[in-house]
Formats: sequence, structure tokens, C-alpha cells
Amino acid sequence: MGSKESCRTELRTAIRQLNDRCLYSASKWAAEQLVGIEQDPAKFTPSHTRFQRGSSSIRRRFRTNELPSTPTAGVSYITTPVPEEDDLVDSDCYLLAKSYFDCREYRRAAHALRDQTGKKSVFLRCYALYLAGEKRKEEEMIELEGPLGKSDAVNHELVSLERELSTYRKNGTIDPFGLYLYGVILKEKGREDLARTVLVESVNSYPWNWNAWSELQSLCTTIDILNNLNLKNHWMKDFFLASAHQGLRMYSESLSKYEYLQGTFPFSNYIQAQIAKAQYSLREFEQVEVIFEELLRNDPHRVEDMDMYSNVLYAKESFSSLSYLAHRVFLTDKYRPESCCIIGNYYSLKGQHEKSVVYFRRALKLNKNYLSAWTLMGHEYVEMKNIPAAIDAYRRAVDIDPCDYRAWYGLGQAYEMMCMPFYALYYFRKSVYLQPNDSRLWIAMAQCYETEQLHMLEEAIKCYRRAANCNDREAIALHQLAKLHNELGRTEEAAFYYKRDLERMEAEEREGPNMVEALLFLATYCKAQKRFEEAEVYCTRLLDYTGPEKETAKSLLRGMRAAQSLPSMDVEHFPP
Amino acid sequence: MAGSLKPVGAFAITPHKVSVCILLQIYAPPAQASVPFPFSSVSQHNRLGLFLLALTKSCDDILEPQLDELINQLKEIGGLLNHWLSEHLTRKLSALSSPDDLFNLFSSLRSILGGPETSILEDDQIILDPNSHLGMFLRRCLLAFNLLSFEGVCHLLTNIGTYCKEAVSSCPPYDLPDEDDSNNDLEELLEYEDMDLESFVFRKVAEEAEARKRARESATFHTHTPRSLLGLVEDIQVSADSKYKNCDGIGQGSEFLGPSHDTFRGDDHNSGLFLRTNWQVQGYLREQADLIEKHGSSFPLNAFESILKQLQKLAPELHRVHYLRYLNNLYHDDYPAALENLHCYFDYSAGAEGIDAPSSSSSFISYGNYEIALLCLGMMHCYLGHPKQSLEVLTEAVRASQQHNNDTCLAYTLTSICNLLSEIGISNATGIIASSYSPVTSIGTSLSIQQQLLVLLRRSLKRAESLKLTRLVASNRLAMAKFDLTHVKRPLLSFGPKASTKLRTCPIDVCKELRLSSYLLSEFGSDGASLTIDGAFSTAWLKNLQKPMASSVLSQENRSENGSDAFQFGSQPSSIPGYVLQLAGASYLLRATAWELFGSAPVARLNALVYATCFADGSSSADLALAYVKLIQHLAVYKGYKEAFSAMKLAEEKFLSVSKSRMQLLKLQLLHERALHRGHLKLAQQVCDEIGVLASSVTGVDLELKTEASLRHARTLLAAKQFSQKSGNAVLGLPYVLASLSFCQSFNLDLLEASATLTLAELWLSLGSNHAKRAKALIHRALPMILGHGGLELRARAFIAEAKCYLSDPNFSVLEDSEVVLDSLRQASEELEVLEYHELAAEAFYLMALIFDRLGQLEERESAASSFKDHVIALENPKDDEGLLLDSYST
Repeated sequence: MGSKESCRTELRTAIRQLNDRCLYSASKWAAEQLVGIEQDPAKFTPSHTRFQRGSSSIRRRFRTNELPSTPTAGVSYITTPVPEEDDLVDSDCYLLAKSYFDCREYRRAAHALRDQTGKKSVFLRCYALYLAGEKRKEEEMIELEGPLGKSDAVNHELVSLERELSTYRKNGTIDPFGLYLYGVILKEKGREDLARTVLVESVNSYPWNWNAWSELQSLCTTIDILNNLNLKNHWMKDFFLASAHQGLRMYSESLSKYEYLQGTFPFSNYIQAQIAKAQYSLREFEQVEVIFEELLRNDPHRVEDMDMYSNVLYAKESFSSLSYLAHRVFLTDKYRPESCCIIGNYYSLKGQHEKSVVYFRRALKLNKNYLSAWTLMGHEYVEMKNIPAAIDAYRRAVDIDPCDYRAWYGLGQAYEMMCMPFYALYYFRKSVYLQPNDSRLWIAMAQCYETEQLHMLEEAIKCYRRAANCNDREAIALHQLAKLHNELGRTEEAAFYYKRDLERMEAEEREGPNMVEALLFLATYCKAQKRFEEAEVYCTRLLDYTGPEKETAKSLLRGMRAAQSLPSMDVEHFPP
Repeated sequence: MAGSLKPVGAFAITPHKVSVCILLQIYAPPAQASVPFPFSSVSQHNRLGLFLLALTKSCDDILEPQLDELINQLKEIGGLLNHWLSEHLTRKLSALSSPDDLFNLFSSLRSILGGPETSILEDDQIILDPNSHLGMFLRRCLLAFNLLSFEGVCHLLTNIGTYCKEAVSSCPPYDLPDEDDSNNDLEELLEYEDMDLESFVFRKVAEEAEARKRARESATFHTHTPRSLLGLVEDIQVSADSKYKNCDGIGQGSEFLGPSHDTFRGDDHNSGLFLRTNWQVQGYLREQADLIEKHGSSFPLNAFESILKQLQKLAPELHRVHYLRYLNNLYHDDYPAALENLHCYFDYSAGAEGIDAPSSSSSFISYGNYEIALLCLGMMHCYLGHPKQSLEVLTEAVRASQQHNNDTCLAYTLTSICNLLSEIGISNATGIIASSYSPVTSIGTSLSIQQQLLVLLRRSLKRAESLKLTRLVASNRLAMAKFDLTHVKRPLLSFGPKASTKLRTCPIDVCKELRLSSYLLSEFGSDGASLTIDGAFSTAWLKNLQKPMASSVLSQENRSENGSDAFQFGSQPSSIPGYVLQLAGASYLLRATAWELFGSAPVARLNALVYATCFADGSSSADLALAYVKLIQHLAVYKGYKEAFSAMKLAEEKFLSVSKSRMQLLKLQLLHERALHRGHLKLAQQVCDEIGVLASSVTGVDLELKTEASLRHARTLLAAKQFSQKSGNAVLGLPYVLASLSFCQSFNLDLLEASATLTLAELWLSLGSNHAKRAKALIHRALPMILGHGGLELRARAFIAEAKCYLSDPNFSVLEDSEVVLDSLRQASEELEVLEYHELAAEAFYLMALIFDRLGQLEERESAASSFKDHVIALENPKDDEGLLLDSYST
């Protein structure tokens, strides 16, 4: 990791350069990380460091290639020289074009730059054209929508842009930003391998463009692809790897990377949110809640990732916090898919599923590929007993991301509700394959096998065993294992699992019918095994309960005493 | 979005339709003389009219011709005019440069339509009757254009630009005004398809009504019953004479493409594919589904897959594409992909989508048609050979359809279970049946699987009859016939000794079922005639349009006198749906098998011939190959191997990739038989090994085939043994022959019975001359059957045995009655020579030589003796034409 100082200076320069190229979201990201570093109030006041641009004197002052960076132990980081700007004074045409661009008049911006040859101008022209094409594409998508779904509206600029950028790349006159755009275009044209190569080139020569990293991440669908990327060891790579691991569902790796990054960027909201995301996937809801509370304190108008927070609140059934959150995001920006999703969650918690569906639908209208909204809408339809609609919604989620185990699970559940357990198995198998350490999925699958239609108890036992080995919080698996073994006449195994279940219940201080059942079985079992002392212990514990079990325990005890006393009486009769 | 579907039928205006409209304008210019300007004669004018009629009729097709194709077609019709017509067309099209031009074009089109009261008509004026076909088309175009939004008009304009530009790039001779000023938007083709805008025209309305009507029969699309039934027919083959085996899975990668594929030109951007209405796409898909089921594994997997992917991209809400992908993968034995697509399809559509969607039915909204998903899944497992899973799933399907009161689905499911049971047979079914939850066992666990099958068959037949599912009844009857054919009938539950214990198969029952089956099919009209009125029907128009255009009429002036008949506009595809043909064909194939078993080779041949000639179009190529195999076998038995091999060469060319393995198997079988006859034991053994290799291929061990291989192996060994000890102990053979006789009687296997009788006679004969009379009586009893239906070998054997009987009969005098013996011996020797059966032929000639010797006819004696010598030499030195053999073997 580079020193905080060098990170800071690098980021400052990068923000300006990204802003010059109208890569606003990347610059936003960089700025968030910049303030995430411990501030050094002696040197720069925030007003001084932020949002200054166009002033070449300041830019020169912060050119940082000569600043030393201290590599930390283990990893040797390289410093990437911040590229020189080719034109220190921006041309008038460029200034005009940038203004047009900022007013979202992309074609005008491109036109204003038609004769410019500077790299910055060329990039801005291509980028503006690309965005113009995207905008037109979105419009056409709506215009051309037929009964069979959208027609293949395409970005008409892609072909010419690809041609132009590939020529630049061949000539060697392309800059990292051009490479980034080229990579995006290649990705959209489906040429993923080349896109990956180009994006790697881009991030290796200019690592501070987070947009390029996220495009690269979306192209890393397997861990092998990720490992085969030839990336330079810049500190930005750590951000990338953390995010990529999260995308590949390697949460603990991702978490440790983020925690490491927090050493340099202790105040970064982004890192905090990402940690929350990983914790959420690991189902550590308490921690997630704490993180989000803090996040909201620092950044009360944040909407990003707040849908996840609402999920946590939903799971914890905190009505008021959820409604408070919903209100807050509603006031901030009601037309964000996240906002709609939060409101949908709130209604769902209130049991008003129709209204909830309305808001999920709105979220999906804003972003058709909003994964969690599809899944959540599926849940709502399940609640409303509209199974076909639920299946449809889940299936759409699965088609957007085939790795979304929740949607697969939902599909399985829906089919199970339709009394099609064998059919449902296919979906449970899919979800379990994606998330093999989730006991809930294994239990669902086991229950499927257990249904009276299928009655495949051996398979059910196998699933429950997997569930018991995972972190089974509801402790269903142990009890079921014991019961099934008992049903199959394998008393030894049954006793083993009842005992484990009992121990667990004791540890967690839970009471209930399961406890009674376990005690009763163990008492009978021990008695049959002639382990009277143990049996007595269980029986006496049973005596604490009311109901028929108490009587059974009593009679068991009586029986045992009789059996025990018999040989002792013999001894009395025949003294040595 | 979940559960919402937009209206079905739609008529979108496309560049091609604009072209047709422009041509219409030429055909009927406003206020002109009887022969309008460019035309030189009435017939020329009429020809354009007919061409336009064809174009408008084919406009419901999924694919529209490109401009250059249209111009080529015009060239064929136009003669001298062609240049003028195509130039006019392209000029007009390329002159459309602003939305206003389009508006003007369409308003000028309005004037060629006559008013509603066409009675006030000037004599010479050509005005389209608004209710004529052309008039109707024009009106639809006008309406569609008027309903377009401004964006729609812009897109139409862009599309016309692309349409012209492609024509320019693909046929340079036509000079068009340069279009380079158009911007990059034209680079990529835009699909224009605004289907909300139209659901108006009467015909469409009618079609929709029909679709809704049909939707009630919602299971129709998803079931591939006919196909699996054809599969059954194949399996009879195997169990009956264990000669063939269904051998799919080979023959990948042939170049075959469905007829309409060549019109697709889409590479990276899909230039040729103008997506059409939902209706037409569905029709196209239905047609392709039929093709896949027909051609099985020889259907081009990847080519079609890429088309489907394209389609999916263009129309993400058209879920039937998933079903097609499922079918495609299934028939290429790609289990994971098939499974994935099947689930995907039913997840999206709930088993009811598009034209099948029973939008009005309330049961769908609450449940969906997921039982159909189960049915399909069950059939998939069955097809891929997972009987256990298949039964699980089908059981679930039974439950689901009972729960949702879907009787149709239940009937289909029961039939599938029947298929499954009869396919997996007895050996590996016990494990499944043992589990207590299956519906099969609910009948009663005491019954054997075959009895259960019979009960199920009866049940499902009854159910199908009561539901009036004609083709299900037909296929059930076929299954029933098959069952009757292969199983000895016995009272289902016998109470006490009084129950009838006549154990026989009933050929009459078989025939009855078969007859009933095809009889029912003649009533298909009531069941599913409406099935054909869909897009698949209209695709045929395109093909028919192109056919006559190119061949008969348009090129020749003089033939056009024939009028519209020459155009064969009526040559629409036959209105008999494919599944009816398939079922009827299956019944013929089954009949052939039945006759083969019951012992009438000529009738079997007749049925196979009927199948091969009449049902070749509708049947799958695997089945067709089977029919050919039967015919070739017949040839081999009756006409000798030479003819059989030459016929086989032809058949092999015909089924190059389809069922190569089946043909290969047939070849090996024939070679083996011939080698045995010739006494080439080494070769026979070699061929046997080959069959064994074929049995355990890479894809999996084929048990039936393996059995056959070992059987043939045994026969080879037996032949070897016969050589070493010429005649074994005849008495030992007797019980076997008698057992086989009674077996044949109970199964009504007449021909086999005759041959057993013959063997019996031979055995008696070998026991000594005092049994000759009894043997003769036996032979005479069997002779009518043998002469009528027997193959060459059997006949020859009978003749020789008869001659031997006479000769060994002490009461018989050669001198008095020589012709009786000589005649049969002569016939025998002729037939055996054809068959190249050296051993028996030598025997015949030996006997003949003996008789001639007795008669004192020395010359004949010498010739018979030399023939005898030839055959003995051939038998002892099999080497001499081994080369030839191997030659034909290796081809």
C-alpha cells in the first residue's frame, strides 16, 4: 500500500483528470476515497483541496511521480506515474464541448470537437458520441417494444467508434481513457476476451479510473479469469480484488481485503458499505445494522446500498426504523430503484403485499435488471399465493444473474408449494450448488425429499447431515436427523443426534416440545440399552414437564427400579 | 412482466410491404385505359396481378424477401418489362427520403381502391375491389400506416433505407442514387415491429378466436406422443426378432438445414430476418419443432441454436423459443441443456403461452399448467433413458393433473406411463414398482408389471375416449396392438381352476386395434383441424411461391395461357396435419411387424412398402430407415444377397447420416447370414465381433444388441459344431423341437411353426426310413405355409426334405415317379444357388446325381455331379471370394 500521502495526492490529481473527461461517477468514487483518508488539516483545508479544476498551477503542484511511496511488507506496490496532460491549456473548442456535455447535449459536444486532435478532446468526442448512442438506444427500446418484448435496439455509434478506437490502439495513440471506452464498447459487442485485455491495459496505465475497474470486474465471471489477469500491483488493485471477490461470492476473502484497505481509508463510506454487503451475505445482521447506522449518520442522504439496510431491518422486523428509512430516502430521491425497493419492503413487512408489489414494479421500471427487486417481488407473489407470477419473477432474476441462489431457492419453494416436490428439487439443487454452506437451503431440499409424495428418506438424511455441518441456526437439522433415523429403526444414530440436539438446546437455553421428545427418546433408548443411570437422569429431567410425558417418565423410572432392584434382591437372598 | 401478454395478431408495415404497395400502384394506376401504361398486353398485366396475389398471400410469412430477391422474382415474371418494373420500384423506394414522402405515397395509394359502391364504374378503369384479396391487403397496409406513431414512421423510413442499401450492395447492376448522405443509423438494421397498433382486420380476429378455441386443447403443443409411439414400434422390432435397435446419436453434423433456413442470412447483424407478427413466429417455431422431431439427431444443432438465440434476443418475451431449444438439445442428447431450457420455458410461461394461452380460463390464473411441465420432464427422462426419474416425475404429473382437474393432461400422462413401462420392460422395472407411492402400484402389487401395463393401457384408452382426444385414442390403440402382439393373453385375475387357461396371442385383436387406430384418424377433423391454421401454414406459401415461379410458368410465355392453375396457387400443403400422418404411418409400420411375426412375409413387405412410399414425408427419418431395413431384409430372404446388397447401397446413400448405425447393423447381419450359408465360419465370427463392438459403443451399452451379438455368436459356434459331427443324436433334438412347436402355436407364429414342423420332419427322417411316411405327412402339412410365406432357405430345405422322404420310402420307386423328386430338388438347388448356401446346395445336387444315375441319364448325372463338386469346393475353400466379401463389407 502506498503511503496515505501518496494516495491522497494521486487521488487529487485523478479526480481532476476524471472530471476533465466527464467521467463523473469515477471521479465521485475517487473523491469518496480521498476524504476516506485521514485528513491532514495542517496542509490542506478541505475547501482548498476539493473541486478545483482547470488551474494548471495547482495541477503542476500536485504532480506526484517524484513522491516516494513506501511499500508495505509482503506486497511490493508499484507507482504508476500520473500521465502528463498533452495540452496544458484547454482549447476553446474543448471548453465549449465540455459545457455542452455538462448540459447533456452529447451530440453537440461531439460536433464541437470534430476537428480536435488532442487526446483529451478525442476521448471526450468519442465518449459523447457513445453516450448519445446510448441515449438514443434507450429511447428506441421504448419505441420499438412489441408484444414479444423489446426489439434489439442497438447503439448505432458502436461500430464507428470501435473502428476508430481500434485504429488509435494500433497506432499507439490511444490513452488509458480511450482504452477504457474501447473496452466498454468491445464488451457491449460481445468480444469479451479482447475487452478484458484492453481494460487491463487501461487500468495498468491509469489505475484511478474506478469505472474501468468495475467494467473489468463485470467481465470476471469465474475465479480463474480473475487469477489470470495480468494486473500491476497498484493499491487500486486491492479495491478491485475486494470487489471482485465479493462478486464471486468469496465473502471472507473480500472482507479481509476491505479490512486491510480500511487501514489507509478509515473514513471511506464506500468501504464501509462494502463491508456491510459482505457481512450481509454472511448473514451477520447485527453488524450490518451497526455499520449502516453509522453510515447514515455520516452521510444522511445516501441512497446507494440502502436497500440492503432495509432488508436487514425487514429481517429484524423493526417496523419503525424501516419506515423512518423509507421516509428518508423518499424525501431524498423517490425515483431511485433503491427507494422504491425500500418502500416495497416496508409494505411487505406490514403485510400489504399488493402495495408492496406496486413499488417493486416501479423499481423494476426504473431499472429492469434490478436483481433483488425481482426476487423480492417473487416473495411477495408467493405471499399472495399467485404462484405463476412468483415463478415468473424469480425466473427473471435468475436470468439476470444465474448465480442468484435466493431466486433459485424461491423457485424451488414455489414449486414445492404447488405440490411438485420432485420438480422443485431441480431448483434446490441449483441453489445449493451456488451456496453450499447455507443450512437453510439444505434443509429446504431435505424437506422436499421428506414429503410424503417422494418419501426419499435416505436422501433427506444426507441433506440434513449437510445442513447440520453448516451453521444451522434454527437447529432443525439435528432434530430431523434424529427423527428420521428413529423412523428408519436406526436407534443408535437416532440417539446420537438426539443427544447432540439436546446438548445444543441446553447450550442455547431453549425449551420446547423438541426437548421433551429428545429426553423421552433418550430415556427409553438408554433403558433398552441397560444404561439405567443415564436413563434415570433423562427421566428425572422429564419429570419437570407436565403432560403425558411426565407419566411415561414415571412409569419408566418405576420399571427401571424394579429391574434394578431385582438382582439386588437376589443378592440379599443369597449372602456370600 | 409477470403474466401480461399483449394481443396476438398484428400486421406491421415493413419495407417489403411498401414495395408490394408500389407494385400494386403500377398494377392498378388510377384512371387508366384497360391496358395501363407499361404493359403491352392483357396477359402481361394479368401476370403481374397473379404475382402480386402470390406476394400478398405470402405476406403472413415469417420471412420477407429482401429487395434484391423481390427484383429477381420480378425479373422472371416481367420479361421485357422487368427492367422497367424493378427500376421504377427502386426509384420510388429510394425517393422516399422524408416522412412526408411516406405520407404522400400512402395517400396516393388510397386512390386505387374503389369505393364501397363499386357499381358505378367506368368500363376501362382498373380499380381494386376493396373486398378482394389485393384490396384487402392494401387496406390493411393503409390502416397499419395510419396507426403508426411518428416514431414508427421514422423507423419505417430508416428500414426502407436499409432495405434499399442492402439491395444495392448485393446486386450492383441496379444503379441507385447514391445513399451515402444517410448517416450511420443505416449501418445497422433496425427491426421495426410495432404490434400494438393492429388487431383489427377480420381475418385476424377470426384467427384469434380460433386460437382461443384451440387453447382449450392446451396440451397439444407440448406432447410428443406420436414420436414416442414411433419409438415403440421400433422397440417391437427389437424384442420380436432382435435384429434391430434404435440407434440415434450418430450422424451429427450433417449439412441438412430446414428448407426455410437458407433464407436466413443473419451473420453478425441479422439483415435477412425481418421479424414478423407473433403469430407467424409461433408458426415458424411450430414448424421447426415438427422438423426436429422428425429428423432427430440429424437436425443441425448449432445452426438452429444460433437462430433461436437470435430470436430470443429479438423477442425476449417469446418463451416458446426455450421450448424449441429444449427440443433441439433433447434430440441431440444434451441432458443438462435440455433440462435447463425445459425448466426455463415452463417457469416463464407456466405451460401456457402465446397462442395457446387460455387467457380466459380462470384455473390458469391460479395454478398455471405446471402439470404439463411435469409431463414433458417425464417424457424427457424417458427419452434419455432415466426410467426411475421418469416414473417419479410422471407420478407427480398424475397427482398434479388430478389436483388441478386437468383431465387431458392426465390422459396424456397415463399414456406416457404406459410407454415408459413397455419400454423399460420387466427386468429393471421391479425396483421402481416396489416403491409404494407410484400410481402403478395402487392397482395392486400382486400383478406383474405386464399386467399393470395392460390395466393402465385400458384405463388410459378409456379416459382418452371419454375425453374425445382422437389422436391419443389412436396412439393408445397402437400401444394396445403392440401389447397384444408381444404378450400372451391370460385372464387378468384367475379365480380357481375354472378360469379359461387358453394361452394365446390374438392376431385378431391386434388387427382390430390397428384398424381402429387408423380409422379414428380419419376423423381428425373434429379434433384438431384448426391446428394447421397458423403461421406454419403461411410459411408454406413462400415455398410454394418460389417453386412454381422458378420452374414451370413464369419463364415461359406460352404456358401462361393455362391461367391461374399454372401458378398452382392452390398447391398449399396438404391439410392433413403431420401428427395424423405420423400415427397412420406408425400403424402401417406396426402392421408390417405384426405380419412378420405372424408369418406372412409378403404382407409385411406390402405394409413396409406402403409406409416407405406414402408416409415418407411425415415420418421421422429413423422410422423410414426402419421400413427400408425391413424391405432389404425381405429382399435378402427372397431374392438373395446380391440384390439385397445393391438395395442397401441405395438406402445407405439415402440415410447417410440419419441412422447410419442401423444400416451398418443390417449390413453386418446380412454378411453374417451369408457367411454362415457359405460356410465361412471365420468371417462369420469376425462379423459377430463387429456387432459386439457396435453394441457397446461410446454412448452406452446397448443390451438388446449385445444379446443379438451373442446369439449370433452361438449360431456360429453351432454351425461349426455341425460340421464336425454331421448329424447329432436326433432323439435329443426332438423335445426341443416339440417345445418350440407348442410355443409357436400359442403365439400364432405360423411361419416359425412351419419351420419347426420341418425340423421335426427332418429329425424323424434321420431316425430311419421307417419314419419316412410320418415325416412326409408333416412336411406336406407345413408346405402350404412354407411355399406361401417362407424364404428361400426354408423352401429349399422343405424341398430337399420332401425328396429325401420319397427316396427313403420303401414304397416309392424312382423309376416310376422320378419327376416328383427331381422337380423339388431342382427348385431347391436353384434357390440355394441364389442364396449361396453351398452346403445344402451340394446335398441337393448329390441327391439329383444319385437319381439321374438310377434313371441312367448319364449326361444329367455328370452335370449334377460337377455342380456338387463346385459347391463342395466352394464350401471347403472359403478363401476364393473372401476378398469380394470383405470388399462389400468395407464399403
